[in-house]
Amino acid sequence: MKQFLLRRLLLLVPTLLGAVSLVFVLIHLIPGDPVEVMLGETATAADKEALRQSLGFDRPLATQYRSFLVNLAAGDLGRSLYEPASVVQIIRARLPATLQLALCAMIAATLISFPLATMAAIRPGGWIDRSALTFSLLGLSLPNFWLGPLLMIVFSIHLGWTPVSGRGGLTHLFLPAVTLGLGMAAILVRILRASLLQVIHQDYVQTARAKGLQESRVWLKHVLRNAMLSVITIMSLQFGGLLAGSLITETIFSWPGIGRLTVQAIQTRDYPLVQGCVLVIATSYVLVNFITDLLYKLVDPRISYGD
Amino acid sequence: MRERFLLHCHRSLRFYSVALLLVVCFACRSPSNERPPGYLVAGIESNPLQLDPRYSTDANSVRIGNLIYNSLLRYDERSRLQSELAENWRMLDDRTYLFNLRRDVTFHNGKRLTAADVKHTYESILDPGSLSPKRGLLRPLETIDQIASHQLRFRLRAPHAPFIEQFTMGIVSAEAGKAASDYRPPPGSGPFRLEALESGEKVVLGANPNYWEGRPGLAGVVFKIVPDALVRALEFKQGAIDFMQNDLEPEMLPWLKSNTDARVELNQGTTFQYIGINLTHPILRHQKVRQAVACAIDRDSIIRHLLKNIVSEASGLLSPHNWAYDESARRWPYDPARAKRLLDEAGFSDPDGDGPRPRFRLSFKTTNIDLRRRIAEAFKEQLQRVGIEIELRSYEWGTFFSDIKTGNFHLYSLAWVGIEDPDIYHQIFHSSSVPPNGDNRGRYRNSELDRLLEQGRVTLDRSERKVIYHNVQRLLAEDLPYVPLWWWKNVIVKQPGLRGFVAYPDGELISLKRATFG
Repeated sequence: MKQFLLRRLLLLVPTLLGAVSLVFVLIHLIPGDPVEVMLGETATAADKEALRQSLGFDRPLATQYRSFLVNLAAGDLGRSLYEPASVVQIIRARLPATLQLALCAMIAATLISFPLATMAAIRPGGWIDRSALTFSLLGLSLPNFWLGPLLMIVFSIHLGWTPVSGRGGLTHLFLPAVTLGLGMAAILVRILRASLLQVIHQDYVQTARAKGLQESRVWLKHVLRNAMLSVITIMSLQFGGLLAGSLITETIFSWPGIGRLTVQAIQTRDYPLVQGCVLVIATSYVLVNFITDLLYKLVDPRISYGD
Repeated sequence: MRERFLLHCHRSLRFYSVALLLVVCFACRSPSNERPPGYLVAGIESNPLQLDPRYSTDANSVRIGNLIYNSLLRYDERSRLQSELAENWRMLDDRTYLFNLRRDVTFHNGKRLTAADVKHTYESILDPGSLSPKRGLLRPLETIDQIASHQLRFRLRAPHAPFIEQFTMGIVSAEAGKAASDYRPPPGSGPFRLEALESGEKVVLGANPNYWEGRPGLAGVVFKIVPDALVRALEFKQGAIDFMQNDLEPEMLPWLKSNTDARVELNQGTTFQYIGINLTHPILRHQKVRQAVACAIDRDSIIRHLLKNIVSEASGLLSPHNWAYDESARRWPYDPARAKRLLDEAGFSDPDGDGPRPRFRLSFKTTNIDLRRRIAEAFKEQLQRVGIEIELRSYEWGTFFSDIKTGNFHLYSLAWVGIEDPDIYHQIFHSSSVPPNGDNRGRYRNSELDRLLEQGRVTLDRSERKVIYHNVQRLLAEDLPYVPLWWWKNVIVKQPGLRGFVAYPDGELISLKRATFG
């Protein structure tokens, strides 16, 4: 296990390096010049050239890449080309909002999907099962740009229970978390229900019942636990995606997260900020995958990582 | 089995309760979105990037910045330059300005404003180490001399009439340092001072109690960043936003009028929308083809159906508010029959009459904003009726703007924002202004126009300048390097309790200093 942990941690370095290198090349290949956007309409060619030189954009791409890596190794992601702050400062201001929304959406999805899938699997074909599948179909079909405003109109405008948008207390969090959570819950219900139905007929479940175990214990210890592997995989993928920021939900709910920041940085060709955002997103994905591997082992002790 | 399941559910409930509690604890952040008493909440679309007036270029930064910073001169609601920090000013000769400053002005940090602060502001922009995008605008400036504590002199290298616009630049305290190096902008002396700046969320301004014109009527202004126009309208309906200006979808106005107490005002704006033309294209370099394009566009139907009358038909770059506006400049009303005639005369006859084959094909570039795309669809349809086949191409902003700058287009549509001095014609149409030296993106060259624009720059007498720019407008209205479309009106949506706000043609919010709310 220790070897596995060490190996995975070491793999982090080339993975992140690959991600930021790829983005470094791609962002420089797409059309658009940050100097043009920064200086606007009134600057002369000389002004533009001077700024290009002072930002180091006049140097060959390989030289720029080398200094980017050297700074990165020193923990310096540079300064935003537009906002008067370092990339680290800007990301640090936005990251808590993304983490908060991602965690709450994940919890909302779990709170919705686990009871629903379990009840559906207890009586396959029953009305709860049919309702769960209908919910899942709707959840998968409704896009967030439609669902979000719909929830706003119902909960904020008609009922007056929540603010329309913005970040603040629990009431601000409710609608964006539910909007994101419903879509995720729709997938989880289907996956978990199918896994439960597979597991429920296994011999060891029948044996557990034959031993006289309480039904709740059978479900928790033998059915749910064995059905969790596929669910964990899906949940980790979804959670990784949430940490990358959900552009549409963040935009609709005026949520100041990483998704909006990344898109704004790409549109303005704010190279250092794009690099910083990508680094954070890639790190989140790698860490979530790493934790997922650990969870596999926790849920199913038979899984071995070669030690 | 059902009983056992219920027992399971009961136990599970404890787990979910704990989880829910965790959510609550995690989410418990001070409710920053609550409105402080007496504050006005204004909804804006995007994050102001840089409030320091020496660096700000985006509209939100400039408009919010003008509430924090005073300038020597300021445009009023009728686009006339008025003194602000300048108690009085005069021209000593054709290239020297003398300013006497007010003595009762203090910065938000309590320091008294002197000529040294003004000198510092301009010199920090001119500093070669500064990354200010405004350095190019100050190029004609030779020296700034502080004569006394509240008196200073600006000397230009040569007479340059439009330079007077540069005296509307916000003044920062000399203690601010040369570059905006920390997250907070330097202190200003304006009617509001910066209280909080939360990137992507809001900007909070509080009233400056020691403001030299008197304390503002509002306790403060919260600029809440709400990127989605529909959500801004819903926030307004809920009462979480009190004021919005522009950035609204045209079809939302009728909804706001009928579903809220909104007071909606539409005022003539200065933002000019046009179709840009590549003059190096073998077909588009024919003047009659450009005139045909202008005649083929049915602006009126687009204005009524797609834009719901939030624009007014334009004759050229300068709006009727501008002192140099010429209302007699030629217009090109919708006339498809005339467009066909002009194309025939230019030598591009229709190969099969009303048949499907076009006279020629062009591409039309626009951004991927939904409304822009729908307008471009209408252009395509209208141009097709006169035999011009259009291939629509929409791009995200960075790619689109890059193509326009490099001349990689046939036709495109864009807007010019915040036009005040008519010298902007030099930047857009003078033959020396081809990118990267200016914004003559269509590569238009006309020696007569060049002569007029050079003359307009060095002529200081306004009535003489007016004659020059009338000639410029007439020449361009005939030659059509741009096809004028419309001027965007300023759309103001406000709660009934907001009083004293006066709309400015360029969308400035400075009249909030005299507004009251409640």
